[in-house]
Amino acid sequence: MNEIFKISWRNIWRNPGRSGVLLAAIVAGVWAGVTTSAVTNGFVDQRFDRLINEVSHLQIHHPEFRTERETSMFIPQAEEIIEFLSRDDRLETLSARAIAEGLIQSPANNAGIQVFGVDPDLEQATTSIQDDIVEGEYLDSDIRNPIIIGRKLAEKLNADLGMRLVLTFQDVDEDLTSTVFNVAGIYTSLSGAEERLVYTRMSDLQEHLSENPVYHQIAVVLRDEAQIESFVAELNDTFPGSETLSWYNLSPELRLYADLGNQVVYYLMGIIMLALAFGILNTMLMAIFERTRELGMLMAVGMNKARVFFMICLESILITLTGASAGMMLSALSIRYLHSNGLDLSAFSEGLAEFGYDAILYPSLGAESFLGITLMVAIIAIMASIYPALKAIRLEPAVAARE
Amino acid sequence: MAIVRTEKLSKVYNPDTVPVHALRDVSIEINEGEFTAVRGPSGSGKTTLLNMIGGLDKPTSGNVFINGQEISKMKDSKRIDFRLQNIGFVFQHYNLIPVFTARENVSFIMLLQKRNKKEIQQRADELLEQVGLGERKDARPVQLSGGQQQRVAVARALASEPKFILADEPTANLDTESAMNLLDIMEKMNHEQNVTFVFSTHDQRVIDRARRVITMVDGAIHKDEIQHTDEKQDA
Repeated sequence: MNEIFKISWRNIWRNPGRSGVLLAAIVAGVWAGVTTSAVTNGFVDQRFDRLINEVSHLQIHHPEFRTERETSMFIPQAEEIIEFLSRDDRLETLSARAIAEGLIQSPANNAGIQVFGVDPDLEQATTSIQDDIVEGEYLDSDIRNPIIIGRKLAEKLNADLGMRLVLTFQDVDEDLTSTVFNVAGIYTSLSGAEERLVYTRMSDLQEHLSENPVYHQIAVVLRDEAQIESFVAELNDTFPGSETLSWYNLSPELRLYADLGNQVVYYLMGIIMLALAFGILNTMLMAIFERTRELGMLMAVGMNKARVFFMICLESILITLTGASAGMMLSALSIRYLHSNGLDLSAFSEGLAEFGYDAILYPSLGAESFLGITLMVAIIAIMASIYPALKAIRLEPAVAARE
Repeated sequence: MAIVRTEKLSKVYNPDTVPVHALRDVSIEINEGEFTAVRGPSGSGKTTLLNMIGGLDKPTSGNVFINGQEISKMKDSKRIDFRLQNIGFVFQHYNLIPVFTARENVSFIMLLQKRNKKEIQQRADELLEQVGLGERKDARPVQLSGGQQQRVAVARALASEPKFILADEPTANLDTESAMNLLDIMEKMNHEQNVTFVFSTHDQRVIDRARRVITMVDGAIHKDEIQHTDEKQDA
C-alpha cells in the first residue's frame, strides 16, 4: 500500500507542468467557489438577521389581526401567555406590543402609519431599534409622550426632533382618538419600516387604547432556532384562542430567498466541480496514454487489476485533494479577512439599499460547509478517476508492454 | 524436468473476420537451466509463443503447462498472481518505473509478493551488485544508460525468484558493448544459479550465445537445435 501511495504521488510530479496547471485550476476553482459561497451566505445571513430583528423567531396574534388589522382584535389571554413564555428556558427574549393603524399629522403634512406601543427595555432587547436611531433619543427620553419616527417619514412630514405630531387612531371600542406625541428620535432602516412604523411607549399608547392593558403582538426570540417549529406547535396547542406563527410563515419570501441562496451556491459549486472533473479526466487520460507501456509492464509482471485501478484513482485523489486543500486554505484566509474587514460594496450601495442590503457585506461560511465542499471535491476526484482507471485495467499487458 | 511444456498450441487472431494464424500446433518443452533463443522473421509467431508461455495471452487451442500447472485455462486474476510468483520478464524497452530508483524498481516486484521489507532491501542490493550496478542503486532510469537500464530490468526479473525468465528482444536497443555485457551477466546467472532464460530475438549476438535455438516460420516450429554445449553441460 505504501509503495502504491509512493508511486502514485511521484507519478503526479512526472509532468510538473501539466500537474501544476491542473493544481492551479483546482486551487482557483475551489477558492472561487468557496469564497463566492461565503459571499452569497453573507447576503442571506444579512437578510436573515435583519428579518429576525424585525419579525423575531415567532409572533403571537389574535387569529384575525394580521388580515383585519383592527385594534379591537387584541390577543386573548395575553398576560397568561407572557407569563407562560417568561417561565420557559427556551426563550431568549420577548416584546409584547400594542398596535394601532392610524394617521400622523404635522403642520406640513400627514401620513398613514402603524403605531407600535412597546416596553422600551424589552423592545430594545428584541430588536435593534435603539441602535437604528440616528438623531435624538430612544423611548427612555425624559420628554412627555415621546415618539420615534423613521427618517423618510420625518422628511415627508417635514418633522424635526421635538416637533409635536398628532396621532389619530381607533381605540378597542372602535372610537377615534387623537393625541399629541413629541418627536424624541429618528431612526433609519433598510426595510420599508421607516416610512410607516412609529414607536411610542406602551403606557402612553395604552392610555388611549383601552382601560385595561391590551396586546396585539408578542414577538419572541428563542435561544435555539432549531426549536422554532416545535415551540410554535406547542403554543398553538396551549393557547388555541390566539395564532402563533414562525418567521417563515410570517415572511415566506425570506425562506424562499434563503433556499434560493443555497441553490445558487449548489449550482455554482456544481459547475466548478464539473469543470474540475473534466480537468482531472483529461489529465488522467493523457497520463494513461503516455504510460501505456509502463502500465502494461506492471500488469505483465504481476500487479493485479485492483492495485492498478487503485493506483490511478489514488493519483487523481492525491492531486485533487492537494489542490483542494490549498484552495480551502486560501478561501479560509480570504473569508476570514473579509469577515473581519467587510467586503466594501459601496459602489453599488444605492442598488443594494433598494433590496434591503448594507453596502458592507460580511461573508461567512460554516465549518460544515467547508467539510461538505471537501467531501464534494473528494467524490468528484474519485468519480473522475474511475474512467481512466477502467481504461488502464482494460489494457492488454502483452500489447501494452510492447507499445 | 520440463519447466515449460506446450501441447499443440494454436492462436488465431480475428477468427471471424480475417483469420491470422499466429501459432499452429506448437509443442515444445523447455527444461530447467536452459538458455534458449526463439528466432524467426517478423510475423513468425515468436512473440505470440512467448506471450502464451508467459501467461500474457490465451491460446485458441492447446495447453501451456508451467512446472506441471496448466495456465492457459486459469482465470485472469489467478494468472496474474501466477506470473508474479513464477515468471520473470525482460522487455525490449526495459519498461522500468521512471519515478523509482534502480533499487525501488527491483524491490517493487518483491513488495507485490508481500515479502519481508528487510529481505527485500537485502535482495535488491545483492541483485544490483550482481548486474554490476551496486553503485548506481539510487539512480533513476533517466540517469542510467540503456544497457544499465536493461541490467536493472534483469535484476527486477530475477527478484521474484521466478521459475524462468522470458526476455523479449532484450538487446534490440543496445549497442554491441552493452549487449555483450548484458549477455555475459545472463549467461553467468544461467551457469551459476541455474536460471532458465528464454529469449525471443532477431539479434545474431544473442543467437550465437544461446545453447538451444528454436526457429519459427509462419507460426510453426521450423527448426529446434542444440547449437553448442558449454562448460556447464560439460561439467
